[in-house]
Amino acid sequence: MIDCDIHQELGDVEELLQFVEPAQRDWFRSQGPLLGLPGYSWTHPASWFRQDLAHQDGRPPGANAAAVVREVLDPLGVDIGVLNADDALYVSLMASPYRAAALARAHNDWTRDVWLGQDPRLRASLICPAQNPAAAADEIRRVAKDGRFVAVLLSGGSERPYGEPRYLPVFEAAVEFGLPVAIHSGGEGMGLAGDSGGAGPPTFYIEWHTLGSACSIMAHLVSLVVHGTFDRLPELRVLLMEGGLGWLPGILWRLDTNWRGLRADTPWLKRKPSEVVRENIRFTTQPLEHTDGHDKLLMEMLEAAGAPETLCFASDYPHWDYDAPAELLKRLPEGWRQAVAHDNAAALFGQRLAAVGA
Amino acid sequence: MTRWHDLASLAQLEMDGRVVAHLDGREIGVVRDPASGELWALRNRCPHHGAPLCLGSIKARGAGGLPGSYELGERRVMRCPWHGWEFDPQDGRCLDDPSMRVATYPVRVRDGRVEVEA
Repeated sequence: MIDCDIHQELGDVEELLQFVEPAQRDWFRSQGPLLGLPGYSWTHPASWFRQDLAHQDGRPPGANAAAVVREVLDPLGVDIGVLNADDALYVSLMASPYRAAALARAHNDWTRDVWLGQDPRLRASLICPAQNPAAAADEIRRVAKDGRFVAVLLSGGSERPYGEPRYLPVFEAAVEFGLPVAIHSGGEGMGLAGDSGGAGPPTFYIEWHTLGSACSIMAHLVSLVVHGTFDRLPELRVLLMEGGLGWLPGILWRLDTNWRGLRADTPWLKRKPSEVVRENIRFTTQPLEHTDGHDKLLMEMLEAAGAPETLCFASDYPHWDYDAPAELLKRLPEGWRQAVAHDNAAALFGQRLAAVGA
Repeated sequence: MTRWHDLASLAQLEMDGRVVAHLDGREIGVVRDPASGELWALRNRCPHHGAPLCLGSIKARGAGGLPGSYELGERRVMRCPWHGWEFDPQDGRCLDDPSMRVATYPVRVRDGRVEVEA
């Protein structure tokens, strides 16, 4: 099994700060435990994390590789676990692109030197300061040389949807190294990002978790397709993470319908958008919507949007809305399980799953 | 059995750009390409959603090479007046959905009269 979404939490801040260039360490230290990363204007009413996981030394679960091995890889029988930055993903939304670049560099080096060596099953996504695409591309080229980095990770929250041509250097650099670009929901309405959902800032976490995290993923999907990103870069693969799935066929139907009638704006689109999505975009399963007894309908909808080839398993450890693999997989038709649990992600990450260090 | 129907004078068609007539229970229109003067006869019903297709426009289909570039294509299309779907006026195929096709008919001009075989 491949778990595409295991979160790395910021635990030992001083350990991470050792990877920040000395001239910037004091600035980050003075910003508190979030190191100057932006935050939301609302918060989770209980806890962002699974409450059954022990918090070690006041640090969140998932704050070190030993916890990931003990709580995910070993008990769940995970063959490959992909580490994704949690709060640090939002470097792209920091006002200062210079601080963002420094923190992204430090986080990537920390991941490489402190985390990845601790278990051969661990892989990671690299982060980059997307608000400065040229610097982001430099960071991708610097870090991707280590084959254990299997994806470039961008946040759902963004200044503009990622099809906008300013972001092309990021996607070009990813393609250069054969890396998929993973876009993980989160950061909507935070720092530099546009609001979540287009109706103004939400009041509650439930609004963001229902809408914001899905709307940004929809926006990036549509934007990447209509800007012709996959026509420019046919080898590009994108993994859309944690934005929900029930909406997918509806959005693809809307997009295909609109493409037929509104092609004057985007005459470069030769192929039906839903076909481009099926070929170039993959989706993680978590959190698969609870359907109140309508799983059969959900599976039909997913199939209409290209499943099972389009789906990759993710647990989202250690967050509260975690999907346990056994529970998730048994909801899927039997014929889908091997593809979703392993084969689709193996094809997406490719050669890098065999990598054993720089 | 089909036969030739007299729809309008060419002068009228040149002035109005299109003419629509009821022929044996069907609405059939003849449209004139303002650029080339070419005439096409099509069923006046869009197979997508039933719009009066011949009240749309004949135009160049936009063509794009690289993303971000706009070119006027060579190809002329019949663009539906409602949802903007584009059809090849020659064979009636919807260019963006191969499952959609509108009926087309032979058209000719004889002695200044526009005739359709249907």
